[in-house]
Amino acid sequence: MTIFSSLSMLAATAAPKPMSPILSGPPEALLVLALPILGVILCTLCAIMRVRTRMPAFLTVGCLAAAFAITVGLYLKSGPAPVITSGFEWINLSWGDSAGENSPFHQFIANFSLYLDALTVLWMLFVTGLATLIALYASEYMSGDVGTGYCRFFAAFNLFVFSMSCLVMGDNMLMLFLGWEGVGLCSYLLIGYFYKKPSAVEAAKKAFILNRIGDLGLLMGICLTYVHFGSIEYRDIFAQAQPYIDAAKAGRYSEIPAIVQLIPVLLAVGAFGKSAQLPLYVWLPDAMEGPTPVSALIHAATMVTAGVYLVARMYPLFLLSEIALPLVGWVGALTALFAATIGMAQFDIKRIMAYSTVSQLGYMFAGLGVLTSTGAAFHVVTHAFFKALLFLSCGAIMHGFAGQLDLRKLSGLRRMKGWGIVSLGMLVGCLNLAGFPFTSGFFSKDMLIGEAFVTPGTAPIGWILLLTAGLTAYYTFRVFFRVIVGPVHYEPGDELHSAHEEHAHGDSHNEHAHGDSHNEHAHVEDDHQHHDHGHGGHFHPHAPGWAINTVLLTLSVLSLAASGLYFVPTGVHGGAVPAMVDRSSAAYQSPFAHHAIPEGAGDGGHEGPDHAAETVPSYVPTSIAMEDPHAVEHPHENAGTFLGWDPHAVLFYVSGAVGFIGIFVAYVLHYAGRTTAATARADALLPMLGPIPRWAQHKWYVDEFYNLVVRVPLLALAHTFHLIDKLLVDGLVRMFGAIPRWLGTLIRPTQSGELHGYAAGMATGIAVLLFIVFMLTLR
Amino acid sequence: MIGRLAYLWPEIALFATTCIVMVLGLSRSLPMRKASAWVCGIGLLAALGLSITTTPSGSTVIASGGQAMLPGMAPFAKCLICLVALFLLPLLAGTVDRAEEHRIATGAGVFNPLRSNRAEFYSFFLFSITGLLLVADADNLIWLFLALELTSLPTYIMVAISSERHRAQEAGVKYFFLGALGAAVFLYGFALLYGATGTTNLNAIHESFLSRGISTMAIAGLILSLLGLCFKIAAVPMHFYTADVYQGASAGVAAMLAFVPKTAGFLAMLLILATVGWSSGPGAASLPEPLRLLLWVIAALTMTVGNVLAVLQSSAKRTLAYSSIAHSGYMLVGVIAGPGDGSFTRNGISAVLFYLLGYGVMNLGAFAVLASVEKPASDGGEPRELDSFDDLRGLCRTHPVSGWTMVLCSLSLLGMPPLLGFFGKLPLFTSAIGAGEIPLVLVLGINSAIAAFYYLRLMAMPLLEEPSFRATAPVDNPFVSRRFAGLLSAGGVIVLAVFANLLMKESTAAGRYVARPETASAGAKTEVSVAQDGR
Repeated sequence: MTIFSSLSMLAATAAPKPMSPILSGPPEALLVLALPILGVILCTLCAIMRVRTRMPAFLTVGCLAAAFAITVGLYLKSGPAPVITSGFEWINLSWGDSAGENSPFHQFIANFSLYLDALTVLWMLFVTGLATLIALYASEYMSGDVGTGYCRFFAAFNLFVFSMSCLVMGDNMLMLFLGWEGVGLCSYLLIGYFYKKPSAVEAAKKAFILNRIGDLGLLMGICLTYVHFGSIEYRDIFAQAQPYIDAAKAGRYSEIPAIVQLIPVLLAVGAFGKSAQLPLYVWLPDAMEGPTPVSALIHAATMVTAGVYLVARMYPLFLLSEIALPLVGWVGALTALFAATIGMAQFDIKRIMAYSTVSQLGYMFAGLGVLTSTGAAFHVVTHAFFKALLFLSCGAIMHGFAGQLDLRKLSGLRRMKGWGIVSLGMLVGCLNLAGFPFTSGFFSKDMLIGEAFVTPGTAPIGWILLLTAGLTAYYTFRVFFRVIVGPVHYEPGDELHSAHEEHAHGDSHNEHAHGDSHNEHAHVEDDHQHHDHGHGGHFHPHAPGWAINTVLLTLSVLSLAASGLYFVPTGVHGGAVPAMVDRSSAAYQSPFAHHAIPEGAGDGGHEGPDHAAETVPSYVPTSIAMEDPHAVEHPHENAGTFLGWDPHAVLFYVSGAVGFIGIFVAYVLHYAGRTTAATARADALLPMLGPIPRWAQHKWYVDEFYNLVVRVPLLALAHTFHLIDKLLVDGLVRMFGAIPRWLGTLIRPTQSGELHGYAAGMATGIAVLLFIVFMLTLR
Repeated sequence: MIGRLAYLWPEIALFATTCIVMVLGLSRSLPMRKASAWVCGIGLLAALGLSITTTPSGSTVIASGGQAMLPGMAPFAKCLICLVALFLLPLLAGTVDRAEEHRIATGAGVFNPLRSNRAEFYSFFLFSITGLLLVADADNLIWLFLALELTSLPTYIMVAISSERHRAQEAGVKYFFLGALGAAVFLYGFALLYGATGTTNLNAIHESFLSRGISTMAIAGLILSLLGLCFKIAAVPMHFYTADVYQGASAGVAAMLAFVPKTAGFLAMLLILATVGWSSGPGAASLPEPLRLLLWVIAALTMTVGNVLAVLQSSAKRTLAYSSIAHSGYMLVGVIAGPGDGSFTRNGISAVLFYLLGYGVMNLGAFAVLASVEKPASDGGEPRELDSFDDLRGLCRTHPVSGWTMVLCSLSLLGMPPLLGFFGKLPLFTSAIGAGEIPLVLVLGINSAIAAFYYLRLMAMPLLEEPSFRATAPVDNPFVSRRFAGLLSAGGVIVLAVFANLLMKESTAAGRYVARPETASAGAKTEVSVAQDGR
């Protein structure tokens, strides 16, 4: 019944190539899971003891910082091979004809153990690191809610980190699923944090329900994995999949059972739900109803990348299906484009960031789809930093301007006192997101786009991504040019945090009264704008304090420094992060990737194509996309090009240029000559485009479409079924439900409460049973 | 005999504690008397420790003359008994004093140190637990009978003194008389067994069955023994007392009644059935047909009667009492399934042992909630414990700890997947399927569904209903220890479920059945002097 005996049996039977024995990992990895749980307990205790200070925040920061420190230790220790840290035996059932039988289909093992390889450590590094920083940020951001709400927030925050760690570090798919549902639950709890706000509750429900659709796919994928491979532990799955991988390597897809090809497709559906891809992306923009630190951590940096993690972790399985990776790639590319077009037309800066998150997640999926898991992982890391930075900057603005997020009502933040770091953070974030040359976003995005042109047959994805890069630059700098620079102007939002802003309430009501007629305001464009309101409003935006500023500054530095990762000499194209992915099960080096490294872009230790043979693990096919087996020897012949040039060499300039164009357009339309906050040159151009901007602003009416196509028929169906249920099923249920009651009333008189009645009953019962037994068996 | 003593250390320790507690209870100083609960706890902890360390298993048991068919059962059973007893202790603490204090407060009596029977109550409890441990050790029918009675006799008194209300005394009397009747039945069965085999030693009886076959007289003896033990486990047709006694007793004592006699009954049943084994039936691996049929009928009836009566109740306490009957029916399925191939999912014996622990823990939580919240009587009488479902309304809001304990425990009793009850019920199903008892599994499934009706009600009342803020809104019982017991149980339901695998391993080892122990009757051979054949 022990896992080791079964493992050795599996390894003996399944793997034609000798797998390196899996060593046991460092035990302190379990602390990474234990510390957030400790945080949950401490925050709960704070709630019970009615702590009215910022204690829970600092406890959280402490726990998470310790977890981060341990993760760094794990990183320093990590070797090239995966290791497994055994926690405890969680579920270990076996059955069979004899007790000693331990064949895969006679047992179900899901231990609480951790699978540590470079991919795990990479994910955990930014999860725990960002969680620590964002917890620190939230300590100030949430200070308006000090009290039980504060404890609730941080308890859920810790629980999220625990669930995410579970998802990333678990050594089997059940732990992944546990974490998957756990992060979903925490997301629900935190989106609905302001549970008195109906829109927040709606958004929380929407996120939860839409995720269920994806989760169904994931669950079915896990079930099929067990059904086919007889195990849900990664090492067993990878070992068992080896023959199929060999088949796929030789292009013999017909030898791979359909069920195995179906597994990655189902897993991809799960990933699309969690990572907000088409068609399940609609929950993510609404999720912005949650407090901004939550948006930054969960809905930008970590949880939404769980789908990318899933695909990367199960990459060997994805390579087995002819349709899974193209599906992932195309969905990713189309999501990237689609979300970008919506993002261009929004006015709420947080929503713009939300759509940009959806769009960037699309990039990552597209990257996975075009066979550059390394590039996708790199983009996950860089995106985590700069998107968290952008969200936190938006949060600081929201915090300071009483919930104001409309870019038509804010302007010139740079020139206000105390907003320097926020402006800097926005600038750094925007540059990264726009793919400005030599920022980390630039490198990671180029890896994806370049690879799309390199991999045969995926050039259309590359073109879509390139176009999206331009759109991204435009909408990113649209925010920057309108909010950060330009004439100083602001209006407070309708959320007032503290008592001294009570006066401003008049303003907010006034805002509501005026409704959408903000253009008529014709604000005076100077510092004293708010005096001219004439309503006695004395709103003063409060600039962020030390905690927020520290975090923003740290993140700005980190997101700039992340580009340095690209230049780390590791021998793998793309620097440190791809090198880590390369050492994990997600490793897939396209044979096309190595001839095409740009000379000038500074890849430190590139050692030539023959290095690929060393870095690619034996169980990963060298090529999946090629029909011609001879192409393995001559990869250059099949490699795609970008209009006849080497994609990696030329794309640095092309995508840089696209980015510049986007920024320039934003400059012309939203900054040059703008004298008010509300209007810009773009407004004059809008009518020329007809109804398209309005459609984009209404998110292409996708929500309405879903409402019509899914919700209305479902409701109609529900009402029909309700009727059937009421008339037919209820009757049946009532009938069957009545049987126990009827039986009960039949037996009830025996419970008379009288001693002699009971004694008589017992004696009779004994007599009857004896009679029955003797009559039936001992004649 | 000295060899036997070596593995009776837990019992010896517990008995010594009992004596200390009795003496302590006579002390003049109140703090000394109040210490008796703590002394009890220390004694139980010591017994737990000794159970883990000194109780031999496997071959040592046989060498020392213990019963050899279920060599691993005693250590596991002793640990689980001591563990649940430790959980029960805080729930029982203060049961008698509350009634006495109230009598004095209302002027119905004056303080009389002689009436301060705090310590007696605890020593009765410990006596009962000692008896239970001795049941696990039994290797002899006489030993078994004495141990069973030592388990039961103190509980009769505990029921009667647990509350000042007349109902408790009535319950005590009923319980005593019917208990005596039950004891008479299984004693008769034991006598027939002795008559059929000429020995009271279980190993020797086993040996005799193996060598001479099972006579009709022995079958009759076994049937009567099982029927008598049905009283202990509250199974049909000996179940009549259950609801009245549980409702009459205070909730703490009721929780104890749901665990202690039931465990004793199941352990005794397994010991007695081990003598015939699960390999002499028509199927290759089942009980002899008469016994299988008997247990089959009892199991099906017990589950059904318990559940359908529970559905009708408006009193939560009575519901729990009837559900306790139903749970006995579930466990009987495991008894019928037998050891199977020895793996956890196929071994009915380990399933029963596991379920006893699970049931002990989660059932305790439900009763602890009823005990820890009480309603002041409108006429100024003694505040009474929660009883009806209505009293539980909105408990999660008014008494969060108790409310959530109730929610967790009733979900676990229902067998919801992440909780302990699920892991308990799973092997009952799988072992019965493995043994080919498909119709019984269907009955079990249907009954689990019926049980959902009242367990969900038990969960929904505290969680979903609005609290009823009437004049008689429930208040916390002054004994914090009871809420603590509830918390322990709720925590156990989760924590033990997370570490269920460890328990599964242990219970698999405990449920190992040795059909033909080599040295089984080495020490007992001489006792087999008369070979009687009833045919």
